[in-house]
Amino acid sequence: MDRRNFIKTTAAAGASATLAGCGNPETQLIRFIPEEPLFPGIATWKPSICPLCSAGCGLHVRVMDGEAEVVRNGEKGLLKMGLAKKLEGNPQHPISHGKLCARGQAGIQLTYHPDRIRQPLRRTGPRGSGPFQEISWDDAMADVLLRLNAIAAADQQKTLGFLTRRLRGQRNVLISTFLKEFGAPPATLFEVFSDDVLREANRQSFGFEQLPTFDLARSRYVLSFGADFLGTWNSPVAHSVAYGEMRQGRPGVRAKFVQVEPRMSQTGANADEWVPVKPGTEGILALGIAHVIFKANLRTPSAAGRAGDRIDGWNTGLQAYTPEAVEKRTGVATARIERLAREFADNSPAVAIIGGAPLAHTNGIFQALAVNALNALVGSVGEEGGLSFTPHPDTGTAQAGRRGLRELAAEILSSSSSPVQVLFLNDANPVFGTPPAWRVAEALAKVPYIVSFGSFLDETSLIADLILPDHSFLESWVDDVPESGTALSVASVAAPVMRPLHQTRSMPDVVLDIGRQLQRPVVLPWNNYEDMLKAAFAALADKSSNWDKILENGGWWSTASTGPSVNPARVTPAAATLQADPQFDGRAEDYPFHFLPYASQAFLDGSLAHLPWLQELPDVISTAMWSNWVEINPVTARDLGIAQGDAVEVRSVHGTIQAPALISPGIAPDVVAMPVGQGHATYTRYASGRGSNPVSILADLTEPVTGALAWAATRVGIRKLDNAAPTTPLIVFAGALREHEERHR
Amino acid sequence: MLKVRVGRHKWKLGVLVASALLAGVWSLKGQATRPDTNAIFSPAHGSISEAISHFFGYRPEPVQPIAFPHNVHVQDVELACMDCHISAARGPQASIPDIRTCWNCHATTATDRAEIQKMKGYFDKGQDIPWQRVWGWVEESHVRFNHAPHILAKVDCATCHGDVAQMTVATREIQHTMEFCVTCHKEKGASNDCVTCHY
Repeated sequence: MDRRNFIKTTAAAGASATLAGCGNPETQLIRFIPEEPLFPGIATWKPSICPLCSAGCGLHVRVMDGEAEVVRNGEKGLLKMGLAKKLEGNPQHPISHGKLCARGQAGIQLTYHPDRIRQPLRRTGPRGSGPFQEISWDDAMADVLLRLNAIAAADQQKTLGFLTRRLRGQRNVLISTFLKEFGAPPATLFEVFSDDVLREANRQSFGFEQLPTFDLARSRYVLSFGADFLGTWNSPVAHSVAYGEMRQGRPGVRAKFVQVEPRMSQTGANADEWVPVKPGTEGILALGIAHVIFKANLRTPSAAGRAGDRIDGWNTGLQAYTPEAVEKRTGVATARIERLAREFADNSPAVAIIGGAPLAHTNGIFQALAVNALNALVGSVGEEGGLSFTPHPDTGTAQAGRRGLRELAAEILSSSSSPVQVLFLNDANPVFGTPPAWRVAEALAKVPYIVSFGSFLDETSLIADLILPDHSFLESWVDDVPESGTALSVASVAAPVMRPLHQTRSMPDVVLDIGRQLQRPVVLPWNNYEDMLKAAFAALADKSSNWDKILENGGWWSTASTGPSVNPARVTPAAATLQADPQFDGRAEDYPFHFLPYASQAFLDGSLAHLPWLQELPDVISTAMWSNWVEINPVTARDLGIAQGDAVEVRSVHGTIQAPALISPGIAPDVVAMPVGQGHATYTRYASGRGSNPVSILADLTEPVTGALAWAATRVGIRKLDNAAPTTPLIVFAGALREHEERHR
Repeated sequence: MLKVRVGRHKWKLGVLVASALLAGVWSLKGQATRPDTNAIFSPAHGSISEAISHFFGYRPEPVQPIAFPHNVHVQDVELACMDCHISAARGPQASIPDIRTCWNCHATTATDRAEIQKMKGYFDKGQDIPWQRVWGWVEESHVRFNHAPHILAKVDCATCHGDVAQMTVATREIQHTMEFCVTCHKEKGASNDCVTCHY
């Protein structure tokens, strides 16, 4: 085909593609009167905050006029309005530094999603069957108030429950204040991949119950235990920016990066060295490294201070953790342990990171404490190139206290009348994200009245009796206090960047309204959420930063690190005798493989599976899209007669799922892994009925100190399903792993 | 010479024939009217002839919902162009004012006229006036026009839009061909680089 012919063909294709978009005057929708002054064609950039993960990246949103198809007064038509068009990182923001990850880029689709809930819904059919009726906000509020007034009249205020994803900033203050004033217990927090184990370990080791911040830009050696810190864990954008500095920002210094994990993650693929280790033995390896450091007199045990005191046998040189003993338990060769130890001690500043799967074992606390002690040993805590804790600005504190979902479900199931009579549900989908043994769906079915603030019908919202749809983050007042990712003190805040498209209301404002309208009102000192934010940020404002300036910047942040000292006074609790070895569910003879469900690059815990840009985003390692898969080592696959794309059954004590096989050399032979995120029964047109959900076969094992789900502690068996195609086929963008196949031909 | 020109347009002829065939198939299937709005894709053209017109850049003269008299507003009321087309000097689009601009005066002015009554009808229903577009280029030409630099260079509105002060509804008296643009750019010494306009 020559150039001329090429232009001809593409011109014809272009014409058919542009058939869309040009309206026929006779059938054109009516146009509503615009509600705001607009200068067409002129873009402005407004700050906002990314809500898609817990990092809390500051955004800049491109806003320009456009025509939106909306419903006003029951009539469908076009409205010319300022619309958010593109999300980017806020260049001034201390977390995002002007960058944004692929998930964040797709966040714009939350606002324009065709399956967004556009006005309040009241359930009309049996629970979970689907039918809902669109109702007015007046009717919806009357429904909620009726229920809340009833429990207040019966002096049963403590039967109000609030189930939510971990909240931060003023939303957290508001909800906890409302619940307290109403007389209800604190909110129940639920996340599939919660970091509670690490928070608890950091409290014990360092006195800070929060996620750590890493000064990667100035590190010379990074030893990461299972933490996908460049992809899905903690503060990926901040880490990636710092990682770039670490590798390329210092002439002549590239730093070494070693990743210890049984399945090579996106982060592991960036490492100089990948150390596959037996699942759940990462802490043992860390102590093996510490042992070598003591033995060679590179450091003394006392150097670790409080963090070392938490480890049994630390002060006597960790006699049980000789490299030979550690090799037997972890599968890492003696010589390698010794070399890693010397490298780690010699290349200062060095930092060890632990996150993700190593903490999701029954020995999670032990693993985290071991790595914390290793950091303290080489003096990387609170130091340049090491780890520290983000100081928090004083914008009010929320009531402490928690109630685990597992315990709550058990309590509901064991009592004749549910201890929760009315349940509010905010940004949490536990029916999808809990193992079957928790029986969450069954427990929720016993709750007489469930109100969801959801914007989409997911498995949990589907059993709600009433849905009060929240604004999208671009339509709301938003704020956040990042837990980690910067040495500065940060409080982000942003005004709505656009008017609401649909008949939705902001969750905090609805809660304030409910409080005011109750028969026994819960009067909080704020008229609306905007007022509350203004009041909270007034404490931070000074001459150089008033409210207007804060809004223009997208938040308030300190100019230099004002963090509290990381090594508070040494309290010397007795060394904890913790279980060092992990426990697994399922006998090794019957279930020969460790099962590793991991946070998906695109969907994290599955809460983002409804965004089509993320469905079509090829996974960084496998290039697979619109599907999920089981990762199997080539040797294992050969032994079991499994080929790429074959339907494979994954069976645990608790259930069976099937998925196509992905043959990958980046996984240990005794481990199989699956990304979490697909397998939604109900979650908009893009995610419903696609793939399978690995959480649905997990065992009910927990980390005993925090009660967090040990999601990496299940064992499974796998087999090829003969004469069956996978229900959702494997769709890979590039011929995966050719290099490996060629080398092993 | 003639041969070359036939060659140049042969492919358009081909597309025309193909389109005609397609149109036949389409109408056989009884889908000559606009397909229902699909929630994933926005609706296409209302008919295949509309699509063909679009492809060849042919656009019928727009029919405006209200017979707006530019002449009265410019000559009698002495409004300037940019009193209503507010963003001509600020950005790419001159902009058509929404009904609130009209309402500023016509809530109380000339309320007895038939066309003003029509406008009031829209306003009372909370609707904007569905003005039809007069000017513009097809997407395939990839022309990106920006009003602001032209206004700032003191190009008179009438240079491109004709003497709108004498018109009722705006009409395309001047055709915005590439030749028209290039000639003026040459005269004024403005850039004629392709990417000045096509990008």
